Amino acid sequence: MMPEAAYIYSPEQLNYKFSEDHPFNQRRLSLTLDLLKELGALEQHQIFPARMATDQELLLIHEEEYIKAVKSASTGLVQSSYSSTFGIGTEDTPAFPNMHEAAAWLVGGTLAAVDMVFELGYKHALNLGGGLHHGFRGKASGFCVYNDSSIAIEYMRRKYQARVLYVDTDAHHGDGVQWAFYNDPDVCTLSIHESGRFLFPGTGNVNERGHGEGNGYTFNIPLEAFTEDESFLQSYRKAFTEVVEYFKPDVIVTQNGADAHYYDPLTHLCGTSKIFLEIPKLAHELAHKYCEGRWIAVGGGGYDIWRVVPRAWSAIWLEMSGQTDLFKQSLPESWLKRWQKETDAVLPDSWYDQPDMYPPIPRKNEINLKNERTLNKALEPIFKKKTDNEKQNVLL
Amino acid sequence: MKIKDIMIKNVISAKPELAIKDALQIMKENKIRHLPVVNEENSVIGIISDRDLKDASPSVFAADQKELLEKPVSEVMITDVLTAFTNDFVEEAAHMMTENQISCLPIEKNGKLSGIITETDLLHTLVRLTGADAPSSRLELEVPNRSGMLSDVAAIIKDHKINIQSVLVYPSNDQTKKILVFRLRSMDLRMLIQSLKESDYAVLWPEQLGMRT
Repeated sequence: MMPEAAYIYSPEQLNYKFSEDHPFNQRRLSLTLDLLKELGALEQHQIFPARMATDQELLLIHEEEYIKAVKSASTGLVQSSYSSTFGIGTEDTPAFPNMHEAAAWLVGGTLAAVDMVFELGYKHALNLGGGLHHGFRGKASGFCVYNDSSIAIEYMRRKYQARVLYVDTDAHHGDGVQWAFYNDPDVCTLSIHESGRFLFPGTGNVNERGHGEGNGYTFNIPLEAFTEDESFLQSYRKAFTEVVEYFKPDVIVTQNGADAHYYDPLTHLCGTSKIFLEIPKLAHELAHKYCEGRWIAVGGGGYDIWRVVPRAWSAIWLEMSGQTDLFKQSLPESWLKRWQKETDAVLPDSWYDQPDMYPPIPRKNEINLKNERTLNKALEPIFKKKTDNEKQNVLL
Repeated sequence: MKIKDIMIKNVISAKPELAIKDALQIMKENKIRHLPVVNEENSVIGIISDRDLKDASPSVFAADQKELLEKPVSEVMITDVLTAFTNDFVEEAAHMMTENQISCLPIEKNGKLSGIITETDLLHTLVRLTGADAPSSRLELEVPNRSGMLSDVAAIIKDHKINIQSVLVYPSNDQTKKILVFRLRSMDLRMLIQSLKESDYAVLWPEQLGMRT
C-alpha cells in the first residue's frame, strides 16, 4: 500500500537567510526536523528532497524583469531603484548572496510536494520551507521573494487542470496569493488573519471577494487583535467547512504560518499551541472528505522559532502521518537538551501551553462578537446561495 | 487631491425628454442611483434620483395611472443642482455633500458635465489616504501639540530606512496632544518602536496586550 504522507526537505532551504538578526529564520526547519526525528515520528524513507525551481516555473507567476532583478541582487549588484521598483534592498527584504537560488529552492520544495501528490500517488505532502505568501508578481514584500504557493497553484492548474482551494492561517493576510488569483474562478483563496487595521499588510478585508469571473472565490476573515484560541478556531472551522463544501476543490493547499501565537513578536492574536494542533486536523479531515485526501501543506511566518514554530510545524506532520497520539507525551528530553543551550527562551516540554500563560484579556466578549459578525459577513454569499437553492428546491 | 483625480469620468446622463420608466430602467441596469439631466450643450440642467422617480411613479395598486411613467424626467427633476468643478479639492466636495445632505455631485468643466462623484468614491479615497491599499503596517503615536513633532518622528522613521505610505494627523481628546497615524512599508516595526520609546514617545499601536479600550 502507498504510504500516506511525504515530508519535503533539503538543506539548501536553509540558505534563505537575509541576515543574522532578521526575524525570518530558517533554523525553524532544523529545529522541526530534529524534533520529529527525536520523536521517532519521521523516518528517512519518508523524507524527499526539494529541488530548485526553474526560471520557466518561476515565470508561471513572476515577471521576467523581476526575476532578473533578484538574480542580479543575488550577485551583489543591487541598484538603488530596486527597493522602490522590486521591493528588494528594503529593511524587510534586503538582498543577500545567492538570494535567487535560495528562494528558488523554497519554490522547488512546494513543487516537489505537488509532484508527490499528483505523480507519485501520495495523499499528502508537506514543505515547511514554503508558504511565502507576500511575494507579488513583480515585487518582493514582507520577507517573501518568490511566491511558492502561487507558483505551485498555477502549476497544478496548467498541468492537472485542478481546482485548488488555498487556506491561509498565517496571522498576516495572504495577499500575494489572493491577488495572483483574484480573477480566477478555479482557484479559491481563504485567508484568516489579524485585521489589516492592526497588522501588516493592511489588506484582507471582508469585501475583497475577487473580481470579474473570480468574484465569489476570495474569502477573508480579518480577526480582531487579541482574538485568542476559542474565537480563532470557531472562525477557522466554520469558514473552512463552508468554503470547501461550496467550492468542492480537487486539492487543498494549506499555508501554515505559525505566528498567531501569544509569544510571536510581530502579531497580536494571542493564540496558544492548541490552535496549531487543531488547524491541520480539520485540513486532514476535509481533504479526505472532498479531495480523496489530496492535501499539500506549506509553512509560512512564525517568528518565535524556539517555543512556537517547532511544535506547530511538527504537529502538521504528526497529523498528516497519523501519529497524533504523540501529543499525549512530553517533548523528547534529548531535543530539549540539545536546543535549550542555544537560546535564553525557556523551551516548553509539553504540546499544550499553560492556560495562565498571559493575563486575561479585557473586552473579550466584544472581540468574540465582532469576530462572529465578520465571519458571517464573509460567508454571506455562501449562505445566500444556500437559501436560494433551498427556495429552488421547494419550487421544484 | 483634486476631484478630477477621483471622479467617475464616463458618466451616464439623461436628456430632459427621457421617459421616467426609461430612466428607471437605465439606473437599474447600471446599478446607479442618480442621473444628471443635460441639455443639447451637455450642460447640467437638473438631476434625478431613483427615489424622486419612485415618488413620482404610480402605486402598484393604481394600474390605470401607468401613463405617469411615460412622462418626461424634466417634469420631476430637481433643477437647483449643486455641482462642483474638476479642479476643486476633494475635501471641498466632501464638505459640500455633508453640508447639504446629498450623496452625489455632478462635476462640471467649462460649463459642461465632465464627471460625477458619489459617497462611495469619497470612501474609496479615504481608504487610499489612510494608506491601507498597499502592504504596510500601522503605527499610532500620541505627541504633544506643538510644532516640529511630525518632523521629529519622521526623522526617526527615516533612520530605520522605512518608507512612509501615508500619514494622518488629528487632534487627541486631550487638547494638549495630537495623534499621528502612519502606514509604514515594513512588516517588522520592533526596532523602530524601541527607538521611539527610548525617545519617550507614547506608542498607542502596536501594543503588546489589549489593555486599552
